Amino acid sequence: MARFLIRRILNMIPLLIGITFLSFLVMSMVPGNFLSNLKMNPAISPQLIKEMEAQFGLNQPLLVRYWKWLWAVLHLNLGTSLAFNVSVTSLIGSRAVNTIILSAASMLFAWAIAIPIGIVVAVNQNSIWDRILSFVAFFGMSVPNFFLAFLVMYFAMKVNSPYLPVGGTYSVDYAQLDWMSQIGDRINHLILPVFVLGIAGMASLMRLMRSQILEIKNSDFVRTARAKGLSERVVIYKHVLRNALNPFVTMAGYGLADLLGGAALVEAVMNLQGLGLLLLNAVRSLDIYLVMGSVLMGAVLLLLGNLLADIALVMVDPRVDFSSMDSQ
Amino acid sequence: MGSCLRATAVTFALLAMLTVGCRVQHASDDHAKQQIFYQASLGDPRTFNPILSTDQSSDDAFSDVFDSIVRINELTTLPEPGLAESWDIAADQKVITFHLRHGVKWFDGAPFTSHDVAFTMQVMYDQQVPNSLRSILTIDGKPIEVTTPDDYTVVMRLPRPFAPLLYSIGAPIIPAHVLEPIYHAGHFNQAWNINTPPRDLIGLGPFIMTLYVQSQLLQYVPNPHFWMHDENGAALPRLHGQTTLIVSDLNAAYLKFLAGQLDVYTPRPEEVVSLKERARELNITVASNGIDTGELFFSFNRNPTHYVVNGHRDPRLDWFSDLNFLRAMAHAIDKQGMINLCFHGLAVPAYGTISPANKLFYDPHLTDYEYDLKTSAALLEAGGYHMVGGVRVDPHGNPIVFNLMTNTGVPVRDEMCAMFKQDLATLGIKVNYRPLEFTTMVEKLDSNFDWDCVLIGFGGGGVEPNNGANVLRSSGQLHIWYPNQKTPATPWEAEIDKLLEEGTAEMDVQKRVPYYWRIQEILHDQLPIMETVRQLRFTAYRNTLKNFQPTVWGVYHREYIAFTPD
Repeated sequence: MARFLIRRILNMIPLLIGITFLSFLVMSMVPGNFLSNLKMNPAISPQLIKEMEAQFGLNQPLLVRYWKWLWAVLHLNLGTSLAFNVSVTSLIGSRAVNTIILSAASMLFAWAIAIPIGIVVAVNQNSIWDRILSFVAFFGMSVPNFFLAFLVMYFAMKVNSPYLPVGGTYSVDYAQLDWMSQIGDRINHLILPVFVLGIAGMASLMRLMRSQILEIKNSDFVRTARAKGLSERVVIYKHVLRNALNPFVTMAGYGLADLLGGAALVEAVMNLQGLGLLLLNAVRSLDIYLVMGSVLMGAVLLLLGNLLADIALVMVDPRVDFSSMDSQ
Repeated sequence: MGSCLRATAVTFALLAMLTVGCRVQHASDDHAKQQIFYQASLGDPRTFNPILSTDQSSDDAFSDVFDSIVRINELTTLPEPGLAESWDIAADQKVITFHLRHGVKWFDGAPFTSHDVAFTMQVMYDQQVPNSLRSILTIDGKPIEVTTPDDYTVVMRLPRPFAPLLYSIGAPIIPAHVLEPIYHAGHFNQAWNINTPPRDLIGLGPFIMTLYVQSQLLQYVPNPHFWMHDENGAALPRLHGQTTLIVSDLNAAYLKFLAGQLDVYTPRPEEVVSLKERARELNITVASNGIDTGELFFSFNRNPTHYVVNGHRDPRLDWFSDLNFLRAMAHAIDKQGMINLCFHGLAVPAYGTISPANKLFYDPHLTDYEYDLKTSAALLEAGGYHMVGGVRVDPHGNPIVFNLMTNTGVPVRDEMCAMFKQDLATLGIKVNYRPLEFTTMVEKLDSNFDWDCVLIGFGGGGVEPNNGANVLRSSGQLHIWYPNQKTPATPWEAEIDKLLEEGTAEMDVQKRVPYYWRIQEILHDQLPIMETVRQLRFTAYRNTLKNFQPTVWGVYHREYIAFTPD
């Protein structure tokens, strides 16, 4: 296990360097730089542009800039945002918390609903419930996130309920509320986005659960279990479910990376104070260090998620062990 | 089986409990009763340091927190006393003495003195502090010499008489007692960034910033020490608070205004009509502020560094510096069509580089290049550009083809370019139109000069016409048709350079006017830029607001705004 871990972590280093260098290269190859937006402002003198270029180090060659960035990252310093003149860590940090709360809540929502429903429809295959719920699932899968976000916002505007605020992360008077109300206010603001994000995730999870169970339900060892006289309940929960879980473990690993980036569109539409809008604006204004900071975080989370999923897979499935993964 | 359904039911019940909203006791949302004014801002501020700011969102965020020694009256567009209650100009026009108000206090109670003004100027002139204020306060490359004979007097000695000073000196004053130690420690460029607790921003303005939540809102309370009082001696500002909601786009702001969450909104042309129709129902007023202060124009590239390569001269350079050709182009701009189609009729044709909104310097004598394709064709024929088989060719037989660009993301500009292209097609001229990402377009205008024709807009640089010097002067970086000239390429560019010099040396506003009229005339005749149209600006606001007077230069005397008690 230790050998496996060390090897996997060592493997991550060239991968991370590759990912970040490519992103850095692409960001630098775009014509213009962060200061281009200032150049067309008659109030900004060319001398100021030069001073700012020197201050941000934008006049240095690409490799030098990348090396400086990498060196700083090794010292746990993600650099300074060009637009906001504060550390990237502080900018991303405060917003990442909001995004993670939102993504985690919607993941929880999706899994908590999708898995039981998936089991029910698979066990009662071709029943009326199977058809209705499958229809709902396909609907959820095919409606784009952002469109659903618009729909629920329109709904909230028409209902005008104090429990369903239209967009935003807090109420305007958040700072004046006591802490109990503050938590309540945050939860109220989470309901709609969690619903929107959850529905899409739920639909695909439920379909996956259903097909997994259907596949395993008819396999030999299930028939053997039934023949042994085990109750249907034990067969489903002990034998079928346990074997159906493998793809979900892998999916949970990928979900870790999705925690940060998966909600971007909905965040933009519903005006949520998360990473999505910040990064969209950062890319558009070529705020390179802010973009790099988030690319790095996303890449680390993806690789870590994969690693954790592999470890979890070994734990839940005795057929898989570290040596077999090592040789892959 | 039953157990399975039971498990599902339990899960659903749990989720239902989780997702039921929580009861939150909100304060009343009646803005008038609370006397709290709600406005919107597009995008987050990037800094709270008023010296370092280079963007509108930041300026908007702290404009009510800081104050300046001279203000510009939004109605008359003339300088008026701010923190300086008066000023004298010496006979040689090179020494200006500002007399500061007594008894003015910073938010933390410290007295405001001449040292704060001197410190602000010192920071602006520091090469280590990149800021946009320095260049407008540098005269012929020399700084203004600032001395403070006593706590309430600031003397500024100029290298030569410099009229724009009174318009440019309105920079926000920063507190020396707070920022001087930070400045001397070498940390000024990091001071007062967006992570700074808003209460730590010490200013002299009408409002104190109390809260900033990224991408959500900014909140302010009135400054109890504010120096202004109304005619009855009552404290100003009259509002009990101000909240700026940060929105990601104008659609969101429009919805919030309709829903009553905002008290003021700047509608786009297509929204003006609908808001006017619903004014009574929404209990709002849609006020016309006047003509936009900026300009939106076509320009042709005249830069030989792009067109003359290895002794070979591209024919396009000849077309783009030929007055017959340029006049033909100017007559092919369908301004009225653009107004009707792109601005819903809410715009006016533009003739000169200075907007009529700038009552002092606008030249009313300019005439329009009337839209008439027959005139265009005649001018082209006169210049030797003939039609050969449906294609317009120059005197050397080269077919006339050029590229046109503008920035993406502004639908109106896209439509305007399409109309121009279509009109030129009927004249036999082929236009390759391509909208570009803003940064790409800037790269072409500013670095590689690989462009032929552009539709571009500049925001109004304020009332002072010298603020546009970077565009007008032949050596300017933004002299877009041929930037950074070592010596003026044409006699008329040399004349503009001279007029700019003379126009700033004359302190009397009325005597300055002819210089800027002449500049507008030259640009109008020589056509390096071809004006299109200027949008009419509107502000929609709640009828419960009192003393709310929006202008294109800002809201007049904001301190007096209040809600009428019902």
